[in-house]
Amino acid sequence: MNKELEHSFVELLEKHQNIVHKVCRLYTNNQDAHNDLFQEITIQLWKAYPKFRGDAKFSTWMYRVGLNTAITLYRKSKRTIKTQEFETVSFKIKSVEYDDTEEQQLKLLYKAVHQLNDIEKALVLLYLEDKNYREISETLGISEVNARVKMNRVKKKLKTILNP
Amino acid sequence: MDELELLKKDWQSTSHKTEQIYTSKEIYPMLLKKSSSIVKTLFYISIGELLLWVLINSIPYFSSEKFRAELETMYGNSTILLVITIFSYAIILAFVYLLYKSYKTISVTDTAKQLMESILKTRKIVKYYVIYNLVIAFLSMAFGFYYTIYENPIVSQQFADFSSKQMFVALMIMIFFTAIFILVIWLVYRLIYGILLKRLNRNYKELKKLEV
Repeated sequence: MNKELEHSFVELLEKHQNIVHKVCRLYTNNQDAHNDLFQEITIQLWKAYPKFRGDAKFSTWMYRVGLNTAITLYRKSKRTIKTQEFETVSFKIKSVEYDDTEEQQLKLLYKAVHQLNDIEKALVLLYLEDKNYREISETLGISEVNARVKMNRVKKKLKTILNP
Repeated sequence: MDELELLKKDWQSTSHKTEQIYTSKEIYPMLLKKSSSIVKTLFYISIGELLLWVLINSIPYFSSEKFRAELETMYGNSTILLVITIFSYAIILAFVYLLYKSYKTISVTDTAKQLMESILKTRKIVKYYVIYNLVIAFLSMAFGFYYTIYENPIVSQQFADFSSKQMFVALMIMIFFTAIFILVIWLVYRLIYGILLKRLNRNYKELKKLEV
């Protein structure tokens, strides 16, 4: 890989790194795992970069590589604490009285999203990023109709988690 | 307000406030680090498996003169052994080629479903390779026993003196050890891939479920 390519890649990644951070934020539970996943996504992006044609937007391309790494390629090194953390989270959601303040609601929402499975998280991420169903279907490899149906189910699931 | 809309508003407004902003100086060393992705692990395991079976098949033959001499006594100087050897190496080369081709199709820029499919396809090739080796191991053990009993002068003499009951017990012992050998390999294989691809399989099923 030549220096020029490396330089342009690092420049682009530095500028758009928040996309990678967002993926990490959704798929990891602690800072160490976050950094670990960030590192792996960076490697995957760099490996795929020479084939990046520029016909797709760099950010769209990053979402795809980032999600693929998080869902499929990444091997979690600290799996053991995961279940326990989830149990604590769901306990808290049930025990904390439903506060109407936005901040409290958001806190619960983020916790609820963390309880979703990998595919559901991907749907939520793309939805939060205002991607349309065509983009969602192209990223995940499912039909637009199925993406829409699944998204509605995820919304319902989130509601159930928040209001058991 | 819809919960998700509230989340979206917050997500987009705080999107610039990420945990840690890396500078380009910090990003450069990241490019040099080694990937720990499952594709890489799968690649090393496949190479390991290829080598392991090549070693299993060739070490006894090349390391012991006595064994080679015994083989020649049993099989004679027939060309069958040569044909089998050439055939088995051709099969190994064919698997190496298929694996290489399959690895080349794995692309992180594919859709999530395509990516999972190409990884699973690669794993299947390794699986066929292991099955092939297990079948060959089983066959060679069976033929090995057969030739030892009927062609090896010392052993065949011993077997000739066996009563039918002793013969039955000997046969059962052979079948038992062959079955244990195959079972152990199969379990190790299931364990390695089971752990490695657990998450991928789960997510792939989830995506497939959406298509029904």
